[in-house]
Amino acid sequence: MRQMTVAAMAAIAVLAASAGLAGCASESSSSSAASGTSSSAAASASAASCSNSAIQSQLYAKGMLTVATDKPVYPPWFVNNKPTNGQGYESAVAYAVAAQLGFSKSQVTWAYEPFNSSYAPGPKKFDFDINEISYSAARAQAVTFSDSYYDVQQALVALKNSPIVTKHSPADLKTYVFGDQVGTTSLQFINSQIQPSQTPKVFETLNDVKQALQTKQIAALVTDTPTAEFITTEIPGSVVVAQFPSTGEHYGLLFAKGNQLVTCVNKALATLKSNGTLAKLTAQYLKDFTSVPTIQP
Amino acid sequence: MLGDSSRRGVVLSTTSTVVVLAVLVGIFLLAPGSAQVRHTFFNPADMWQSFVGDPKAGYYSVGAALWLNIRMFVAAEILILIFALIVAVIRQSTGPVLLPLRVAATVYVDVARGVPLILIIFALGYGLPALQLTVISDQSAAVYGVAALVLSYSAYVAEVYRAGINSVHRSQVAAARSLGLSQGASMRYVILPQAIRNIIPPLLNDFISLQKDTAQVGLLGAIEANKAAEIYSSTVFNYSSYVVAAILFLALTIPLARFTDHLIRRDQARRLAGAGQLWAERARFPFPVRGERKRCGSRGCASRSARTRCSAGWTWTWPRTRSSA
Repeated sequence: MRQMTVAAMAAIAVLAASAGLAGCASESSSSSAASGTSSSAAASASAASCSNSAIQSQLYAKGMLTVATDKPVYPPWFVNNKPTNGQGYESAVAYAVAAQLGFSKSQVTWAYEPFNSSYAPGPKKFDFDINEISYSAARAQAVTFSDSYYDVQQALVALKNSPIVTKHSPADLKTYVFGDQVGTTSLQFINSQIQPSQTPKVFETLNDVKQALQTKQIAALVTDTPTAEFITTEIPGSVVVAQFPSTGEHYGLLFAKGNQLVTCVNKALATLKSNGTLAKLTAQYLKDFTSVPTIQP
Repeated sequence: MLGDSSRRGVVLSTTSTVVVLAVLVGIFLLAPGSAQVRHTFFNPADMWQSFVGDPKAGYYSVGAALWLNIRMFVAAEILILIFALIVAVIRQSTGPVLLPLRVAATVYVDVARGVPLILIIFALGYGLPALQLTVISDQSAAVYGVAALVLSYSAYVAEVYRAGINSVHRSQVAAARSLGLSQGASMRYVILPQAIRNIIPPLLNDFISLQKDTAQVGLLGAIEANKAAEIYSSTVFNYSSYVVAAILFLALTIPLARFTDHLIRRDQARRLAGAGQLWAERARFPFPVRGERKRCGSRGCASRSARTRCSAGWTWTWPRTRSSA
């Protein structure tokens, strides 16, 4: 007994000491890291050369632009579950950005990165991840986001004969059970904008949410408008009820925290915006979504 | 109070504990990515935020979500104890009329143990609502989850029960029947009380596992602790919420583990009430005593369990069970 007590006390002492050490270490390292990134980011921004040769040192694999996304991928973001075909909004945007940075189509490789591990600490296996990831200030503490490549609005998908299709005033909306996919910003939207009386259901994958809608586990699913439109082509008898006004939410390309390549990618995105490429791709792949009526949450 | 040698033992064990811990902690702290890993997994601010939750920011309290795990666990545990006992007794029954039931119970145990829990959860959680029956099809995700846990775990627990029933010496049945008890009554009053006492530790072991598996019900969209942690993690891009969930699960399972130990100790003490002396000797000389070994061997070991008892040095129970037969 006595022996155990002594050992336990010693262990506690060590842990306490290490906790103290940890506190010191994290303070010093984080402050130095912060000052390091801010100064180098400023330096690279002022250098302002985004030629293909100038950014080589910042690439994950030399000579190649490595773009990551999840598996499987869905329309209208990707077509036929093939990121490499250049079709679908996100695939097209990725290749457009690559072209701006001086990469040919064959110099772009695709890596598989599940959403849940895209923000894991440590080195990344890609230059940027394009996977309908919404920007938020909290997320930006863990990773670096590019500027917006798509401004998101949330929409409601329900079965045609369900009550929510006709009754969706702000007061009515509060009475339904909503569902969404884990990790999407839809949950935040449901709870902050719709504020339903019943807790929404949160599912692992989009397929699970669709299943729940078909089996009437939920009255409606909430997702971004393009995905909502795509879901109606998959679930017979489902319809996009309406979309909600923008809350300023937007999708950004995800980079490892402090990756300086983001400066040049942002420049490329700005060019694609000003020369109308993004608008053209939106019209090509996402044009159906302008027809969806907008309602108040 | 303490002898020289035991004091030296204390010093040595303390030193080795401290050194091992210090080396492990040192490696963790001095690793190049240590600060980042600590921030991602053990950031106190994130741990606290995920514990209290903020639905409007898109995530729920992991602490509050644990309440759903506890409710599912308690409900499932009670149902499992009842259902598994029924299955076990059916499998142990001998009447020719009950053959269809026995076959059904055996098939159930084989299938439910072999199929991954996740499939049972999906099958019930998405399958039953799709049937569009009146009461069955509009339950909450937690109800389907509990049903799936009961289906899966009852198969394991039924086997634990059956092992317990088989661990009671056959002579007990013979004794009970010779006293005029019916087969059912001897099961109810003689076999099961002894069997259940034997299987409490393995039962509690299954229930500790059950506590964690309530997390899988999150697959159906119910927001239990693990799901709440996942939502926080993917909303804020920080894994500290999973550590919070782990700590909460530990807070549930560790007391249950200690309670199991306590029951085992109490049970040992109770069984040894008449043989405490022999047990004390055993503790000092942990090898079979010659005379007993011989007695067991010379009469032959009737059943496999008796053989096991002999070789494990449990022969002190042998004369007692023999005399009762």
